[in-house]
Amino acid sequence: MRKSFTIHCALFASVMLLLMTACTETVSNARQEAGQPQIYPDYVGVTIPVNIAPLNFCMADEKVLLIDAVVTDNHCNSLHAQDDEMADFNIDDWHSLLAQNRGDSLSVVVSAKYEDGWHTYRPFSIYVSPDSIDYGLCYRLIEPGYEVWSKMGIYERDLSSFEERPLIENTQFEGCVNCHSFNRGNPADMSLHIRGKHGATLLRKDYGPVTAYNTRTDQTLGLCVYPYWHPSGRYIAYSTNKTNQLFHSASPNRVEVFDTASDLQVYDVEKNELLLSPLLKRDSVYETYPVFSADGRSLYFCVAADSLEFKVDSSESDATIPSAFDTRAVSNTSLYTLNAKLNSLRYNLCRIDFDPETGRFGERVDTIVNAASRQKSVSFPRPSYDGRFLCYTLSDYGQFSIWHHEADLWLLDLATGESRPMVGANSEDTESFHNWSTNSRWLVLSSRRDDGLFTRPYFCHVDTKGNVTKAFMLPQRNPRQFYRGRFMSFNVPDFITGPTRFDSRQASKAINNEYRKNFGVR
Amino acid sequence: MKFLRPLCTFLFGLAVLLFFGLAYPHHLHYQEQFQLFLFDSTYVWEIVREPGGVADLLGRFTTQFFLYAWVGALIIAILLTAIQLLTLRLINVQWLYGLSFMPSFLLWLFLLDENALMGGVWAVLLTQLAAWAILSLAKGWTRRILLMAAIPVLYFLVGPVCLPIPIDSLWIGAHYHRYPTVFPWLLWGAAFSIWGLMGITLLIRHFPKHFSLHSPLSTLLLTALVAVIMGSIVWKNANYRAEAVMQYDFMARHQQWNRILETVNKEKPNNQIGVTVQNLALAMHGVLLDQLFNYNQNGIAGLLPDVKEDATSPLPTAEAFYQLGMINVTQRTVFEAQEAILDFQKSGRCYKRLAQTNLINGQYEVARKYLSALQKTLFYRDWAEETLPLLGDEEAITRHPEYGRLRKMADDEDYYFSDHVTPEMLETLFFHNTDNGLAYQYLVAYYMLTGDRDGYQNFISSIKQ
Repeated sequence: MRKSFTIHCALFASVMLLLMTACTETVSNARQEAGQPQIYPDYVGVTIPVNIAPLNFCMADEKVLLIDAVVTDNHCNSLHAQDDEMADFNIDDWHSLLAQNRGDSLSVVVSAKYEDGWHTYRPFSIYVSPDSIDYGLCYRLIEPGYEVWSKMGIYERDLSSFEERPLIENTQFEGCVNCHSFNRGNPADMSLHIRGKHGATLLRKDYGPVTAYNTRTDQTLGLCVYPYWHPSGRYIAYSTNKTNQLFHSASPNRVEVFDTASDLQVYDVEKNELLLSPLLKRDSVYETYPVFSADGRSLYFCVAADSLEFKVDSSESDATIPSAFDTRAVSNTSLYTLNAKLNSLRYNLCRIDFDPETGRFGERVDTIVNAASRQKSVSFPRPSYDGRFLCYTLSDYGQFSIWHHEADLWLLDLATGESRPMVGANSEDTESFHNWSTNSRWLVLSSRRDDGLFTRPYFCHVDTKGNVTKAFMLPQRNPRQFYRGRFMSFNVPDFITGPTRFDSRQASKAINNEYRKNFGVR
Repeated sequence: MKFLRPLCTFLFGLAVLLFFGLAYPHHLHYQEQFQLFLFDSTYVWEIVREPGGVADLLGRFTTQFFLYAWVGALIIAILLTAIQLLTLRLINVQWLYGLSFMPSFLLWLFLLDENALMGGVWAVLLTQLAAWAILSLAKGWTRRILLMAAIPVLYFLVGPVCLPIPIDSLWIGAHYHRYPTVFPWLLWGAAFSIWGLMGITLLIRHFPKHFSLHSPLSTLLLTALVAVIMGSIVWKNANYRAEAVMQYDFMARHQQWNRILETVNKEKPNNQIGVTVQNLALAMHGVLLDQLFNYNQNGIAGLLPDVKEDATSPLPTAEAFYQLGMINVTQRTVFEAQEAILDFQKSGRCYKRLAQTNLINGQYEVARKYLSALQKTLFYRDWAEETLPLLGDEEAITRHPEYGRLRKMADDEDYYFSDHVTPEMLETLFFHNTDNGLAYQYLVAYYMLTGDRDGYQNFISSIKQ
């Protein structure tokens, strides 16, 4: 009986294998190409985490009739994929191959069939880093527009598969959702802003229900905007910004988002009160993008001198929904003076002490990176959680670098104070928002290199010495179909250590309910 | 009577066809421009997975044909006629023939609203088809069980129309109206009237002696009464003013400059969109400055109005920006208009224009993205395939009569702009390329409409220098 069962199984497996191989075409009489293949996304020579989803890819050109890819390791294991559109690897086999090659390289041989027959390209390597990446990514999906928004939402994506889930979408309420933030990727503690008619800041602790807050107080500029959690989970640093925007008539940088006033404060989650410092709410400067250091004893932020000197009443503007700046409000300002003023607005990276025990700030502000002296501007400082580095975006001016094609990522070595460009991560197009994985070995970064407009997430590895590998795009099952068909930007991509378990029904109830808990001020 | 009923049904269909084809064609164009039906599995799945998705999908599928108003009118006529015939089948009391027009008339009224969507009409039709199939195929308990079982299935396929209970939470969010929070009372009324008529039928069958109006004359009178009352309600509730505004937008979209002037000369427009389009047509003919005050004006708001945050009003202004060579301003205006579409749909018109602005700006990969989407449509595919080879081909773009001209006209000096077009912007545009006669006309018209003599003198001095 057992023998018969084994024979049946073997027969079944043979038939299945025959059926599977019958569906693929053998690469024969292939012309050997000297160069490596041009593939989309560009995964040639990248370093990947052991738990990443299959790096399915297409040929960069669209004339290909069949694509055949064989991934092999140094232990004679291999993985084969063939399709008319893309190399689509079996997800289980992929993970199994990666697990067996942690810290080792894989070799990929790509053959492509065109009208004139098969072409086989020089193999390329993919290095499997022993450093794993966090469970997933959380991001907002929004069209890269100007003032008006259509459908948008916050989504989470499992990085080891292709599964994407919405946390909350603006079909559940009237308004806009932005600035999702977690404490070092831990989704148990979460902050989220809702803007518009039902404006609120949603906070949750330890996976509890969300509470809707009104963050506007009579001692601060307005609503809390850019958040960053203190490593203890007790505090959240926020900026308050009077944000406006203007549009470029000829520059490929379509939009310029700028502040006409901005300050910083820290929110004590336990005591429900804002902690203020006169050094962080000076009229003569704009302070924004606050982040705590890895040990929680410093607050880094960006600072620019108020060179705009616009005496405009922007009290009506709703923070984080930049409204179009009415040029008529600025008397005697011609088109070109406005240009000169905005284009000379440059931010430095600064630091102030913070005592987490007392919630008190230091007595002085230190400039850590003086970008303005080099005619450059810093935005989005993000310290690695191991305290070694701080990654920031450097652009020609301003602080909303996603609209700056020249914006690149730089790495500040916090031990030496030296900064250098992250060559492997950068491209000729925009690099902007970024953050670290919880083990501080991976960086997720927003880039517009794919088509010049729609922001996509990329990942690069940063070792303990600060060596940065070539960035690779977030894998998709059918990358060309997916990225070409998605008319939305991945906004503020950030790591999460597990599923967010976000109760969107409870959240939308809280949003649509009029009750808001007010922030207090110490 | 045998031929009278089909004749009445035919006349009803003909009336619907003529109404939408002759009196309401631009409402159909308006509908079409605020959606983009894609022959794409992801797009279809995103729609059908929602309750009411199948009706919505069919609604969107048919709306794409509204690009050609007569085809759209024919589709509506066929659907409303089919609904009347199915209503008659369901009530199955021949002397109530006149009342079988009620749901179709209510749907006609519903469709007078430019934001009412075709998915609602399909939802009614599919519900009727399901009910008719069950009533025809089954009897007794089988019929009852099938009817009960059909409700959840139908709810998933067509939404709350299948169970017309007027509870807000059931209806709001169903994609029957472009405003997601609007309760579509007329659609509800159409769905409810079918149930109501079926209820009346049951009553009649139970009490045949009390309801014995079997004479052909009474049937005819009832039909005539319904037709006159409902017909006059439809006629009186039609929004011909909106139709006129939509016509101006349509003519600007298709660059029908001669037709615009012919229309303006028949009746001078007194709305902002009409005046904007009129001035654009005058400028395209090179006579804006000569004839500016021969027509109604609305200050500078009739020349280049401030960009508003809605889907409709910015589009004609964007046509003027485009023709002027203000490509980035056009791009922003069109993008914002599309984002403002209330039910989050995309627009074939906007995608096409965004592909053009990105092509003119040399942002070829972004243009390719829009063109790739348009390749998945029925009516924009050919244009997209003709345009794709232009991407990256600088010589072909330079030679192109429209894109080459607009590239020459477009600003190459960067400044910031906002919702409001200033004379400085037009001046910069003109001095960048003094062949830009449109910029000259708009700038001088700006000074004429604002009475800014100093600005005009400075401009003339600058020209002389």
